[in-house]
Amino acid sequence: MRNYEIMFIVNPNVPEEEIDKINGQIENVITSGGGKVDKIEKMGKRRLAYEVQKQREGYYVLFVISANGDIVKECERRLRVMDAVIKYITVRTDEEARRLEKIHSYRQKRAARRSSTPRTTAGQSVEEAMQ
Amino acid sequence: MKSAKEKRPAGQKQYYRRKKVCKFCVERIDSINYKDAKLLSQFIPERAKVMPRRISGVCSPHQRQLNDAIKKARNIALLPFTTE
Repeated sequence: MRNYEIMFIVNPNVPEEEIDKINGQIENVITSGGGKVDKIEKMGKRRLAYEVQKQREGYYVLFVISANGDIVKECERRLRVMDAVIKYITVRTDEEARRLEKIHSYRQKRAARRSSTPRTTAGQSVEEAMQ
Repeated sequence: MKSAKEKRPAGQKQYYRRKKVCKFCVERIDSINYKDAKLLSQFIPERAKVMPRRISGVCSPHQRQLNDAIKKARNIALLPFTTE
């Protein structure tokens, strides 16, 4: 299981219900394949940086999922055949998240080492010093 | 900077140039995300190219992350490839 973000742009002329229907379909593909949908974010209408299929605007939708590669492949195939979807991108996020965690733990360790009393957090030791 | 100016050997530039710092190191921005078009657009000059390091002062690890993020953002039409 890996974490992915799937972002796609829907044609802005299609009604809201259509977008919900697309979301439902994609969600169905993920859950039926054994994946998990962590978040569905409708980012709303935005101006595109360049023209895509004669459109200057698009409705952005973001899926945050944890799934296998096969499921992602299937999602991409579905998105490709949908007429309303004009562009999509899949980004793997678990490696980046792991890297961030490492930085975070390193920083906390350093903060702990700096304060003279190791078990208190940096904020507490500052308060003690002020007293 | 007065003392540094006096020590400088002849032929070098006389004016003082402000040291450039990496924005991401200073502000402690760990992850450069492709969705943050507002942040990325600061590093996209007029012709929509990636701003070189010698101008922006971004350190090399962050420049690499920035480059990746910009390319992802371009792919999903958050940033332009070029100006029209």
